[in-house]
Amino acid sequence: MAVTIRRLEESDEVEGFDCGDEPLNNYLRRHAWTNQQKVSIGVTYAAVDESARRTVLGYFTLATSSVPRDRFPNKYVRGLPPYDLPLILLARLAVDRRFSGKGLGHALISEALKITLRVADEVGCRCIITDAYPDKAGWYARYGFLPLECTAATSSQKMFLDVRTVRRALSSESSSAERK
Amino acid sequence: MPPAVKSKKAVALQAKVPTARKSKFQADLAPSEDSMVRILKTELQMTSNTDFLTDALALLRWAVSERKRGHHIISESSTGERKILLFPRLERVAPEVTLPHVDIRWTDKELESLVELASGQPTDPTDALIRAMRQ
Repeated sequence: MAVTIRRLEESDEVEGFDCGDEPLNNYLRRHAWTNQQKVSIGVTYAAVDESARRTVLGYFTLATSSVPRDRFPNKYVRGLPPYDLPLILLARLAVDRRFSGKGLGHALISEALKITLRVADEVGCRCIITDAYPDKAGWYARYGFLPLECTAATSSQKMFLDVRTVRRALSSESSSAERK
Repeated sequence: MPPAVKSKKAVALQAKVPTARKSKFQADLAPSEDSMVRILKTELQMTSNTDFLTDALALLRWAVSERKRGHHIISESSTGERKILLFPRLERVAPEVTLPHVDIRWTDKELESLVELASGQPTDPTDALIRAMRQ
């Protein structure tokens, strides 16, 4: 299976997508294209097989966001630059269950992180945030995402990954490639 | 004291040093464009086409660098009315990855945790992250 990851296109087949989670299925079927093209609140990237280039096997959605500096607790503000904190939101990530266990999730998050680095290089961004289902938090933690503390039991867990950590991973890759 | 007259060898060596050649620039302009150039030169009090081209180049270079950084070029009137420059050729150099902006709902506790992590030192990348960036 030769997988390509590219921006979602209008003619992509999304109706048959089933990751086992209805809100994630529904987002791809009903909202991803509209949110990308019409209201511009998120860009969805689809994983497709070279042999069936219209069938979406997995996807992720990215958007930018920021936290106004005045929302941070006073005791931390002093150490921060006088700007809002820019970040990237990994809003959705899902793999069709018929293709789970084939490394698609890894390929998707890999692409999402590479895009994050490109955005950070082009326009600046401090971290990537995702809102993970509690049972998926461990999967994100493998990639270095750290859980944010929350006040009460919620249906999702916000997680943080520093862009500098991602950049370090890239330079680790470069130095190991140079050694070869 | 340096010699008043250079030796033949020194002169020959000096002749070999490459000098930056100036390029000639020729353009076929429609009468209206030619007229526009003349008007602009008058307005800007320029006498030579070289000065005109040099200034135009500096301005275009700046515009390209701003757009490459994802910045918009905006004019603002005295009443605060803003217009964004949309120039198709400039849009070609705008960043490929442009993501929309959304608001996230944060609790105070989450914000405290976020700022603590963001203001601290970055952690070392995990093996999975290194593999992901290698893919």
